[in-house]
Amino acid sequence: MTIKDLIGCLQAELLTGSADTQVCGCYAGDLLSDVLASAKPDVLWITIQVHRNVVSVASMKDISTVLITRGRKLDSQTIAEAEQSGVTVLSTPLSSYEAAGKLWETGLR
Amino acid sequence: MNNPTVKDKASNAADKRRVTLAQLLVYELRVRDAMHKDPVTAQPSDSLRAIQHLMKKHRISGVPITENGRLLGVISIEDIINALDKGYINDPCDKWMTRDPVTLRDHYTLVRAVAEFDRHGFGRFPVLDACEQLTGIITRGDISNALVHHLEARAEQAVAHEAVLVAERQADEKAHRVVLRTPIKSGDFESAGKVSQRMRETLRQRGIDPEARRRAAIVAYEAETNIIIHSIGGELRVVIEPERVVIDAMDQGPGIERLDLAMQEGWSTAGPLARQLGFGAGMGLPNMKKSADHFEVRTELGIGTHLHAEIVLKKAELNPGTTAS
Repeated sequence: MTIKDLIGCLQAELLTGSADTQVCGCYAGDLLSDVLASAKPDVLWITIQVHRNVVSVASMKDISTVLITRGRKLDSQTIAEAEQSGVTVLSTPLSSYEAAGKLWETGLR
Repeated sequence: MNNPTVKDKASNAADKRRVTLAQLLVYELRVRDAMHKDPVTAQPSDSLRAIQHLMKKHRISGVPITENGRLLGVISIEDIINALDKGYINDPCDKWMTRDPVTLRDHYTLVRAVAEFDRHGFGRFPVLDACEQLTGIITRGDISNALVHHLEARAEQAVAHEAVLVAERQADEKAHRVVLRTPIKSGDFESAGKVSQRMRETLRQRGIDPEARRRAAIVAYEAETNIIIHSIGGELRVVIEPERVVIDAMDQGPGIERLDLAMQEGWSTAGPLARQLGFGAGMGLPNMKKSADHFEVRTELGIGTHLHAEIVLKKAELNPGTTAS
C-alpha cells in the first residue's frame, strides 16, 4: 500500500518524504527499544514521540514511514534528518489509537 | 584461480545481464520512443498512382490516409499491386483503402507492441496519440533499432559504473578495518545514534546484508543510549572488519547494581527525562543480547561497565550478472 492511499483517512499532513512511499504493515509504540526489537522493515510506525531519535530508530530498522499522532510536529532539523535518511514522516491530528483503527480499516495489517 | 576461468565467468555474466536488460527495456520503453514520427501520409482524394509514387520516393510499403490529422485508412503495397493488376490505379485511394485499421497508442509499452505484431501479423501499425491524432508509424524494425540504441547507451553507462566499482573496491581493501571511537557524554540525548549511523553507512557501502546491518545497528544504538542514560560518561568503540563488527561500550560508572535484573525485559532504572523521550523501556540489554552473535557484560559498582558484542557479517546476495569472480 502507498502512503497516498492512507493520507486521506488519517487527515494527515506529509512533513517530509514521498506520497508514493510503500508500506507493508504497521507498528505502534512509543518506546524506542521496543520498536527496535519488534518492528519489521518497511512498516508504518505510529508514535507520539517527536524526538530526533525517532528518525534514528526508523532508519536503523529500515522503517519507511513514521506517523506522528495528536498533531505533534517535528522540528525543522529533525525533518531535515528524516529527509536525508529517506524516512517519510506524516503528522495526524488523530490519537495513536484512532489512527491505528483507521489504518486497520483500510486493510493494512 | 587462473585467468581463462575468470574471463569466461565474466563474459557469461555479461551475457546474462544483456538478456535481462533487453527484457527490462521492452517494458520501460514506449511506442513513442521507438516509432517514426511525422509519417508520410496521403489524402483520401489522392490517387493510388500518387501513393505508388510516394512509396517509391520514400521507400516505404504502407501509407496512412488522413484528413486533418485523423486516420481514415491505410494503403499497403499489396493494394497498389492489385490496382495495377486490375486497372484501377488512377482511382482515388479512399475507394480501396483498408478502413479502420488496427492502431497502437503512443503510450503502449514495446512489449505490448510486440504482442500486437505477433497477434495480427502486420508489418506496421499507425500510432495514435491521446487525442486520436496520427502521430507516427511503427514497424518491427523500429522496435529493434530502439532497443539496440538504448542498450548501447546502457552498456556505456555500465562500463563507466564498473570502473568506479573497481576503484571503490581497491580503496576498500586498503582500509578494510575501520575503527570508530567516540566519547559519549552523560545525558546527551541529542547525539544518540550518531556512531551507529556512521557504522551503518560503512556497512552499507560494503554491501553487507541488511539483516546483519540492522542487528549491528541495534547493538551500537542501545550501547550508545545506555551510556547516555545510565552512566556518568564513557566511550563507544566500533571496529568494522570484513567478517564481523566488534562493539565495545565502556563507561566510568556507576556500574549496574543488579545485572540479573537488567538482563530481564521491562526492568529499567532510567530517569523521567529519558522515559519521556521514549527510552527506558527496559529492553536495551535484552535487545543487544538478542541481536549480537556474541555478547558479554562486565560491571563493577563504582568502577563502571564494559559491554562487548560481536556481530558476524555476511555480504548481501548480489543479483546474477553483477557478481565478480
